[in-house]
Amino acid sequence: MSEITGSRAVLGSQRPGSGEAAQTPPGRARNSCALRAEDGSRSGNTSQIRSGWRGLLDKSLFLFYFAVMVETATPEMLPGIVQETEDESKSGLEPGFLVICWNDPVNYMEYVTHVFRTIFGWPRKKAEFHMLQVHEQGKSVLTRESLEKAEHYVHQLQKYSLHATMEQDA
Amino acid sequence: MKLIRASKDKFLLHLGKREKHLLVEVLKLYPRIPPGHQPLSKSLSIPDREANQRLLDEALAEQRAECKKHLRAFLADPGRFEEDQTGCRLSLRKSEPEWLLQIFNDIRVGSWISLGSPEPPMEIKLLNAKTAPDFWAMEMAGHFQMQLLAAMEDR
Repeated sequence: MSEITGSRAVLGSQRPGSGEAAQTPPGRARNSCALRAEDGSRSGNTSQIRSGWRGLLDKSLFLFYFAVMVETATPEMLPGIVQETEDESKSGLEPGFLVICWNDPVNYMEYVTHVFRTIFGWPRKKAEFHMLQVHEQGKSVLTRESLEKAEHYVHQLQKYSLHATMEQDA
Repeated sequence: MKLIRASKDKFLLHLGKREKHLLVEVLKLYPRIPPGHQPLSKSLSIPDREANQRLLDEALAEQRAECKKHLRAFLADPGRFEEDQTGCRLSLRKSEPEWLLQIFNDIRVGSWISLGSPEPPMEIKLLNAKTAPDFWAMEMAGHFQMQLLAAMEDR
């Protein structure tokens, strides 16, 4: 079990004050920008249409036609810059090191739980889960870290005389 | 060993007369884990493995030396064990319960290593006059460790 920290956030700029915009997926935001580009090219064609067809259309049809066009031309969202920011830590891209605790018949279960809680600040339930994993499966991967952090945790665990090592994540 | 009172910076425990004697005798055995016993990694793929292993060994040796120094001062401090009618009161400062847990477990694990790291079913077959002190140290350290842990949980 490894824990990988960091997340990928995609931010889109939407119409200010629009509640719906905040939930708009990035794909839709991109399409809206593309729509606006299409509209820009259409506006040139519209003036040609207006001069050539005006005489053929009666007034009501003309108004209906352009009312539809105007509505179509209005973008659902104002264009903005779609930014993809990667806030994954650099260490997430570097080789990871697993901190592993191995089973031995000498350390008490309650003691091992206590040590996990003290070192990692875990709640009792999580610490007990890993302790039982050590006990039943022979080992438990406690965390995945950079080299320095993994060394630190191994040192901390060994200070309490637990059988802990670090291994490079495949 | 029973918890009498625990405050933010102090821990007060009660020990019977015989219990106090046993506690002192067990603590005198520290440290028991042989130097360089704990490997940093089981695989060879760790960068600068030898240098990092050396650093870990040094850090653990330094920490043990510090613990030993602290323990010597602890046992020599007359204010630590305050006699009462049924035994004595042991006072521990804020960070000392964690420190004592490490000491007890070092003695327990070190005694087990000294016995040849036996698996539980084999363990009892190793009991003889020669190995009895290691068994005694392992069991006594375990007893105090669990008593202290229970007192810390009570807090």
